[in-house]
Amino acid sequence: MPPETILVEQLSKTYQVPEREGGFAAAVRGFFVRKYKDVLAVQKVSFSIQPGEIVGFLGPNGAGKTTTLKMLSGLLNPTGGTAQVLGFTPWKLEPAYLHSMTLVMGQRNRLSWDIPAADSFLLNQAIYRLPDDEYKATLKELDELLELGPLLKKPVRNLSLGERMKCEIAAGLLHRPKVLFLDEPTIGLDITGQVRIREFLREYNRRSGATILLTSHYMADVTALCERIIIIHHGQLKYDGGINDLSRKIAPFKLIGVTLAGADSHDLGLYGLPVENEEDADKHYIQVPAVEVTNVTARMLTELPVHDITITDPPIESVIERAFNE
Amino acid sequence: MLRIYQRLWQVNWAEQWQYRANLLMYLFYWLVSPVVYLAVWTAIARANGSVGGLTVNDFITYYMTLLIVDQLTSEITIHILAYKIQDGTLSGDLIKPIHPVLTNILVNNLAFKALAFLALIPIWGVLWLLFQPDYSAVSLQNILLVLPAIALGFALSFLFGAALTCVAFWTTRVYSLGEFYWALVLLFSGQFVPLQLMPSLIEQVATYLPFGMAKYVPIQIILGRMSAPEILRAYAVGVVWLVIATLLFNWVWREGVKKFSAVGA
Repeated sequence: MPPETILVEQLSKTYQVPEREGGFAAAVRGFFVRKYKDVLAVQKVSFSIQPGEIVGFLGPNGAGKTTTLKMLSGLLNPTGGTAQVLGFTPWKLEPAYLHSMTLVMGQRNRLSWDIPAADSFLLNQAIYRLPDDEYKATLKELDELLELGPLLKKPVRNLSLGERMKCEIAAGLLHRPKVLFLDEPTIGLDITGQVRIREFLREYNRRSGATILLTSHYMADVTALCERIIIIHHGQLKYDGGINDLSRKIAPFKLIGVTLAGADSHDLGLYGLPVENEEDADKHYIQVPAVEVTNVTARMLTELPVHDITITDPPIESVIERAFNE
Repeated sequence: MLRIYQRLWQVNWAEQWQYRANLLMYLFYWLVSPVVYLAVWTAIARANGSVGGLTVNDFITYYMTLLIVDQLTSEITIHILAYKIQDGTLSGDLIKPIHPVLTNILVNNLAFKALAFLALIPIWGVLWLLFQPDYSAVSLQNILLVLPAIALGFALSFLFGAALTCVAFWTTRVYSLGEFYWALVLLFSGQFVPLQLMPSLIEQVATYLPFGMAKYVPIQIILGRMSAPEILRAYAVGVVWLVIATLLFNWVWREGVKKFSAVGA
């Protein structure tokens, strides 16, 4: 077995996607002659991860993150390259491999919708052949870290999103996997929920020495958990290294959002680069180099009729998008 | 392994109870056609004295036995597995170290069957009162002879149903193919009418097909209407089909999962 927990070399995945124009005639043509387009989801990606590392796997939507995680967990066959996880070739789906890893995706997959999570847990105990004492000890530990308590007795469909995610994660960890693939483990959770999951993952990693590879849209997830990040974009590896270097390199700016009294007659372009923010249409956002934030904010507060002002990190997606498109 | 099946049973049984109203509706839907046939054929037989050598009681016992046998040998795999292939939720099952079809989906079928059977008992009792069947031809020996046939009939239905559902790995939608398969089953299994009333060509062809094992053969064995050599022959045909079904399912499943992991879901 190689010393690396995860060793990926030249890993590639090309999908063939059927393609046609809109409209009735094209639909009829498409019925007889299908056109396919090659989509290069992952192109010759190489990296290695040491035992016990927590690595953040980042990239905009469609970058190839989930495809890579699916290949590493064994759900997808690559079209090129190799990967070894714990010495196994994942897509052979050997039982010994499935016993030692877990994949938690933001969707429900390990829990039965209609019954309490406790019942699904017992089923997992049988599937992974966990002795009673070991299972109870793990469950106690997970309960303590995630505060599952009363959640386990309610039918899963009656749980809130955050509660369900906690149960999903617990279900995925009952067999004490050595490798964790987490696809958006905090998606849709409120801040408290996110923080709790993060603390849990850090503590779990500390206690068990498990290796964790996680994707997330939330910069906070990554900064809190990962010392190292891997970025892919358009299926290609763009960055692999420390997180501090990354923010210096590609995200040395902040977003300032303001609500102004009166009409839109003020030219915010004087203070920084105006950017669109669809989620919050009432506010106007500008992008400002991180070192100038204090100055710019002070100027805006004195010169403009500011009702409300916020300073935030730019969303990770746009950082990456911008850094690599420039 | 036993423990896995035990826990799977607990989970699936609990799940089926959640949908008991749904199951009851399904049961009523499924009951309509055999009960209509029962009513129509007994009416015809009553008017003519007999139809093709079958008396009123022959029809009553045939269809009332069909209700039980069909419930025991039928399967619902397409309804459990097809959407998991379509929407990709099968992924979650593939990364567990057990075969999803031969464990969870099998047990799901059995749990559904057990609960549906419970619901069938009172309905069957009412039909008994209405039609007053004469079951004097049934012996303990017949019952013992039919048990393996019912198990074989279910095994065949389950494996063929699962293999058929696996076509969804290639076509995504599989229900129309399922309908076509059902038409074959209806025609050749004795579900519509006792096979001896069919044109003799169909009756002959049916003896070489697997479908009779799920309905016609067990019914005839219970009612003592099959001779020992006929029973033996039916079993031989059934076992050959079991081998074929097993190989077919294994192959389609393996290739299907390969396809699934090539295109992603």
